[in-house]
Amino acid sequence: MPTMRALIWMMLKEELRTHTTFSGMKRFFTFPLMIYIFSLIIALFLKRLLEEISLEELGLLAQASIFLYGLGVGSFGFMGKQYIERKYGKKNYIAALPAILPITYRQTFLGLYIRDSIFYLLLVLVPATSGLIVASLIVGFNIGSIATFFVAAVLSFQFGTSLSFLGSVLFNRGVKVFVLFTSCIAALVLVGSLTSIFQAEMLVPSIGLQLSMPPFGDDLENAIVMGALSSLLIIGMIGASMALIRFHYETSNARFSPLLPAYIERFKISSGHKEVVGKEFVDLRRSGTISKMAFSFVLPLFFLSFTSWFVNTGLGIEVGFNSVFYGAMVGFLGVLLYSWLNNVDNSEYYSLLPISVPDVIRARLLVFLFLTIGISAAFVTAISVINGELDILWLALIVMFVTSVYMVVMTAYLTGIRTNTFLFDMDVLGKFAVMSFLPDVCLTILSFGIRSNWAFSLIAISIVLIVLTTSTFLLYRGIETKWSPASFDTQ
Amino acid sequence: MAIISVKSLSRYFGPKAALNEVSLEVMNGDLFGLFGPNGAGKTTLLKILTGQLEPSSGRSIVMGIDVAEDPMAVKKLVGIVPEVESPPTYLTSYEYLYFVGKVRKVEDIEGKIDEWFSFFDLEDVRDIICRDLSKGMRQKLMLASAFLHDPKLVFLDEPFINLDPIFQRKLRQYLQNYIESGGTIFMCSHILEISERLCNRAAIISNGKLVAYGAMTDLLSKGESLEEIFLRLTEGGG
Repeated sequence: MPTMRALIWMMLKEELRTHTTFSGMKRFFTFPLMIYIFSLIIALFLKRLLEEISLEELGLLAQASIFLYGLGVGSFGFMGKQYIERKYGKKNYIAALPAILPITYRQTFLGLYIRDSIFYLLLVLVPATSGLIVASLIVGFNIGSIATFFVAAVLSFQFGTSLSFLGSVLFNRGVKVFVLFTSCIAALVLVGSLTSIFQAEMLVPSIGLQLSMPPFGDDLENAIVMGALSSLLIIGMIGASMALIRFHYETSNARFSPLLPAYIERFKISSGHKEVVGKEFVDLRRSGTISKMAFSFVLPLFFLSFTSWFVNTGLGIEVGFNSVFYGAMVGFLGVLLYSWLNNVDNSEYYSLLPISVPDVIRARLLVFLFLTIGISAAFVTAISVINGELDILWLALIVMFVTSVYMVVMTAYLTGIRTNTFLFDMDVLGKFAVMSFLPDVCLTILSFGIRSNWAFSLIAISIVLIVLTTSTFLLYRGIETKWSPASFDTQ
Repeated sequence: MAIISVKSLSRYFGPKAALNEVSLEVMNGDLFGLFGPNGAGKTTLLKILTGQLEPSSGRSIVMGIDVAEDPMAVKKLVGIVPEVESPPTYLTSYEYLYFVGKVRKVEDIEGKIDEWFSFFDLEDVRDIICRDLSKGMRQKLMLASAFLHDPKLVFLDEPFINLDPIFQRKLRQYLQNYIESGGTIFMCSHILEISERLCNRAAIISNGKLVAYGAMTDLLSKGESLEEIFLRLTEGGG
């Protein structure tokens, strides 16, 4: 145990130093401050907000977002493998130490899980809850409700990270096992949605806990059951992940047929960036990142659709999620994929070639478009067909395309090729929050009015889309100026 | 004629000066050696000269180009072997050289790749991804990629590291031939024995400052070996 404690302490220090490398300690610590202020403002203006969206929807969206956030940060199986395999670069991580010290990969992977649980609890959930508590002194929220929210939020986050942990460990065991695992989850969601064999909220029981307690409900017994179920599932998934971790780093000497020449030829439409685009696609394929990206992109989409179905049908709360809303949401999820693209391999060797940071950013934007537009369009079309909304499909597709391109270009402009790092920089995060939150809120609210006030909503959405398109153009041009002096060097 | 000209170059990392008012010139056809203890500023200088890092002050001209003003133009012309051999993880050896060849617009890429695979005996690892190569193999690949486009000037940071004695010797001979055919080399190394025989001009750097600089024959004129000079000038320095 002393070893484990020391390991986790060192990992926490390492994580902090990784995040503060580029932004500095002071700017990094303003991140939780911003979360706190944001939460405080939302709480203070909750009454005004409730005129647009119901309390149930808000609670549900909050817990679902926290779950998805956990799902996004919890892929410790991928993360650990990546740390180990990159030990030859300039950076090395504690997770790679079992190769030379008497500790096991099982210990370091568990360390990663505990590290991020503590790190993000302190960085996000504690400041967010603190904002609610302070606001309660002014607007008189029930402290008990805030405590319930915090407990449910911690469980939602841990549920997401544990699920992601297990998924990533299974992926390291083999793609077939991973596909089987995700298929089982999909089947569970479908069965939960289409039958009444078990309550759908049991799939993410912390949501059930939240909705059972005031101000949403008043069923303490059900809340306890949901809380216990949530905890058991989390412990079960961590236990399974620990039991299934298998990692042997050895050179495989596997041989690969050359892909790059064909990929460069295939992506020659990318003109001056075809070499980097081709290389990035080879990386994506050989590193298995395509499956990981699908996991972090398709699963949230799937979950989002299920949530709205559950709210509408399971809970009987009528909400106006329509295809246009989904079009916007798909666009906003694109940030996750751009972040993945920046994590496939280290980019230091680019500094030896006549390739600049803006060149790589532009190439990755193209890769993003090639990868996602088809999937996103298929998803929005499918939602449109399922909901019987083919009449607004054209608008949903335009919204999806414009928001996707805007979000990814805006993220690229703000974070360059270090998205994960810069999104913890207060200055960058502040800009990112404003630049993503404003259009998101506008499009969400306007999408709700499509059926009731078609002409007004259409004109207003068009104006938002024109602003986004213009911003995209300006931000894209700004990438060259902003990132030209940047270095690939991580020192 | 100077192919590299450095004037009063400084680079600070926080309050620490990694380079402090360094000035030197490398002539066309030189095999110039830069030596110094760990952390003395060798790699920092090499990175500034190749446009990988901006200086805090001072000026560097490489092949007539102001590096700070147009680093891309410098990178197009020169070849670089970095301190840490880090080719892209998921490309095969062949694909990495193909990628470099395409980016550098090399004519007859396949011919050049075959030539270097044969020189470094890399044929067996042609289809193996760089992640699975040994350190020595990766170093050979980095060396091949630096010379692939026939540059007139090459920057080498510890080129002999990880190479076995057979390939150290082969590389030494290649570098000598390269110089004879009109090329110029700027090399950082800790292997002083080889460097003493190979370099015609050299500088020793300690704590970011040049402590010796000139023709190798002048540096060795008092009968000391390069190692003895190095130890005398840098003792206690870093």
